[in-house]
Amino acid sequence: MINMRPVVKFLLLAELFAVTTFGLGWWSVPLVAAVWGLVSRSKRKAMFAALAALGGWTTLFLLDVARGPVATMGSQLGGVMNLPAFGLYAFTLIFPALLAWCAATLVPSVRSSGA
Amino acid sequence: MRKALAAVLLAGLLLIGFKAVGPIPPLGPLLDPANGVWAQAAATTFPTLQQVSMPGLSKKVQVVFDDRGVPHVFADNEQDAYRALGYIEARDRLFQMEAQTRATAGRLTEWAGPKLLDSDRSNRELGLVWAAEKKFASYDKNSIGYRAIEAYAGGVNSYISQMRPRDMPVEYRLLNAVPMQWKPVYSLYFLSRMSLNLGFNDATVRRLKAQSMVGKAAADALFPVNSPIQQPIQPLSTSEPRFDFAVVPAPASPDSSVLAEARAREALSTTLAFRKPTETADAIGSNNWAVSPKRAAAGHALLAGDPHLDLSLPSVWYEMHIVVSGKLDVAGVGFPGVPGVVIGFNRDVAWTFTNTGSDVNDYYEETVDKDVNPSMYKLDGQWKPLEQRIEEYKDAKGVVIATDTIRFTHRGPMRRQLGHWLSMRWTVYDKSHEPDNFLNLGFAKNSTEWLADMADYVVPTQNGLVADRSGNIAIRSSGKYPIRPGDGRGDVIRDGSTTASDWIGQLSVDKYPFSMNPAQGFLASANQQPVDPKVNPAYLGSDWYSPWRAMHINALLRADSAVTPDDMRKFQTDPGSSRAEVFVPFFLHAAASIDSAGKSDGELRTAADLLRNWDRRYVRDNRRAILFEAAMTELATRTWDELRDKKKTPSASDRQNYPEAQIMVELMREPTSEWWDDHSTVQRENRDDILSASLRAAYVKLLREVGDPAGDKWLWSNTRRANIYHLLRIPAFSALEVPVQGGPSTLSPSSGSGTQGPSWRMVVELGPEVRAWAIYPGGQSGAPSSARYTDRLSKWTNGILDPVLFPHNAAELERTRVKSTLTLVPR
Repeated sequence: MINMRPVVKFLLLAELFAVTTFGLGWWSVPLVAAVWGLVSRSKRKAMFAALAALGGWTTLFLLDVARGPVATMGSQLGGVMNLPAFGLYAFTLIFPALLAWCAATLVPSVRSSGA
Repeated sequence: MRKALAAVLLAGLLLIGFKAVGPIPPLGPLLDPANGVWAQAAATTFPTLQQVSMPGLSKKVQVVFDDRGVPHVFADNEQDAYRALGYIEARDRLFQMEAQTRATAGRLTEWAGPKLLDSDRSNRELGLVWAAEKKFASYDKNSIGYRAIEAYAGGVNSYISQMRPRDMPVEYRLLNAVPMQWKPVYSLYFLSRMSLNLGFNDATVRRLKAQSMVGKAAADALFPVNSPIQQPIQPLSTSEPRFDFAVVPAPASPDSSVLAEARAREALSTTLAFRKPTETADAIGSNNWAVSPKRAAAGHALLAGDPHLDLSLPSVWYEMHIVVSGKLDVAGVGFPGVPGVVIGFNRDVAWTFTNTGSDVNDYYEETVDKDVNPSMYKLDGQWKPLEQRIEEYKDAKGVVIATDTIRFTHRGPMRRQLGHWLSMRWTVYDKSHEPDNFLNLGFAKNSTEWLADMADYVVPTQNGLVADRSGNIAIRSSGKYPIRPGDGRGDVIRDGSTTASDWIGQLSVDKYPFSMNPAQGFLASANQQPVDPKVNPAYLGSDWYSPWRAMHINALLRADSAVTPDDMRKFQTDPGSSRAEVFVPFFLHAAASIDSAGKSDGELRTAADLLRNWDRRYVRDNRRAILFEAAMTELATRTWDELRDKKKTPSASDRQNYPEAQIMVELMREPTSEWWDDHSTVQRENRDDILSASLRAAYVKLLREVGDPAGDKWLWSNTRRANIYHLLRIPAFSALEVPVQGGPSTLSPSSGSGTQGPSWRMVVELGPEVRAWAIYPGGQSGAPSSARYTDRLSKWTNGILDPVLFPHNAAELERTRVKSTLTLVPR
């Protein structure tokens, strides 16, 4: 029997990343990840946070794609920044993952060194 | 190691997330999929039904957007209508509105820093804001214009206050800026800016420069007050042009006494000039024409409007339809940032404008108390205090990066140029109320009422063309024409120390160029001299554009006695050229004459054959127009070599110093004039030598540079293209290298840089029910990612017009053509 608990945890965390990004902004990603790093006992909590942040932002991004001309914006913005549109899409999704991974990696170690 | 990596990486990510790095804006808010650019792209698609509460509204306003993105505003009173318009124009064009305002106000450094300081300084020195603020302060608070711009500002600010982060236009994100609050006076800023673009005429520079090189008599003939070819707006007794050619005096000794004056004026006008350095008059211009019922196939008056301006994305125009129950029902285009329709139609009348290009600005050399930081200027023997205005320039952080003092005499702003303090008098600085004029046009019931409303219009002077459902057509060059003392000319620098130099009045309206229901059955204007000086000798300006477009419109209209709206549309992009019709025979005659004298060669014969086979039409797949244009460039370079700095290699910008092509036609009557001599050769050339040499040289040059005349590189579509830049000149947001039909001096002239062109094309039929068709380059949305950003471009490129929806009420709009409905309710 498949253990659904990690899946539910992942979905909830991804949802949390999406909701706080929507309500507070992009900078909520490292904050949520830091809290996750503090409360989680998993050995792979940093990677878990990174994937959940990736999932949360991917959901938001796909909603944008469904609602409007994201591809046009991508190619135009890529033109402004001299980047391929694909590079911008990729960075958009990697950016929260890296933020979450860094925050979830650092915060527990700061706490343990403080203790 | 892992933790150190995480720490460094997190610091780096937070840095690029929060802070701009070089030209890259902070990436966090930019790429945030809930609030950043991706969400903004999604937000450009508006909900089908939306209700918004708005402070200041007295009643509910319904705005229905049709499938062309045009808002049909249905309101109970005008203030509510203009408040709603402010809201929706801000929603579609907020960045454009602020960019225009900042450019006029000289506040671009607050976005881009010191690199735009020079541009900001030039704009502030013009005194446009000073003038707009004066006008606003003295505006009648009960006037339609004042109430409209107040209500409009309220609507703009309502939108700004309700914006969600995701609604922020991408340009603000790239500039790392936020929208400023909209003040009512900003609407007047924009109108001042249009006056700069259209009402600033400094033909004197070219005449004075020529005078410094070839003497006064020759310069006056090359840059005359009156056009030698008269095809005026106020029709002649015959509709054929009148040729009024004189002998062009031979080049004489340079007159160095005026060089300093020429340089001073040039320095002033360099930053102000309407024409860009490589543009010539045959590449720019607006057209309008109207046809009486007797010459229209359906028996209804027809009107075509075709104003040409700097092309931009988003467009300078925003299309709208405003209905105020029982009072107002007007459609057309206005400027984002200014409430109301400027060019358009109502249920009875249609109207449009071209620029008159009259001379409404003068310079005065002032006597000041101190050469550095003066505080007084001398007037009629007495010292008068200078009005001083401290101007601070700030960067994006609000830090003051420079401070200037702008000084004003009673005439206008004063600045130091090449050792002289020059003040400028300009009708833009006078009290006026253009918003009232434009807004009242929508209420006109007939041409007479329309003309009455424009009677006190001031600036920029415009050839206002009107047609009504009763079959009347009329045109009048409206605006304030100053009357100067002495010879009345405005193309000299006057002594500022005496009030005797000041303007002594203005032309009365009955002296304006005007015509109503002429016998010829049509009216047309194309920036030409508006009235034949033999009919009305009043000085209105000098160095007028050659009337090639006017001649061509008149020829087309003369040849068609049953004009249809579709004919009107086709005329707007007609590729024929009166300029080519005039000059090609001269080239061919010269080539034949050289050939018969035994001085020709194979290259000249081939070039003449190619030119002979040209139908003189600038269509995109034509391979001969390129040869004619190259020959015309060679002809000007060789003929006007006396007007060029001999130490410099000829360049495209030299054409700015050359006379209008109509002067070249005048010179054709003198085949042995000294002007034809090319000073770079030892022999003495005559007209046919130069014409044939120019044609031959053009052919050889093209052969070398673009290859075989049968090849695709000779296609006109490879030569002339429209370049429609985004306001920030970001290529990714621009439409560049758009192949267009038309060439120099055609009705749809394409300019050298392709940055000028038809900004709005409109045809209106004034039948029992008014019908209209229109297009502009771009689209209603200012958001580059929106489907409505460039959705009209393809039709514009191909000369196609959209039928304009003009419903009496919201219910009359076909449901399939309604894309979204916005209901604004009082808060």
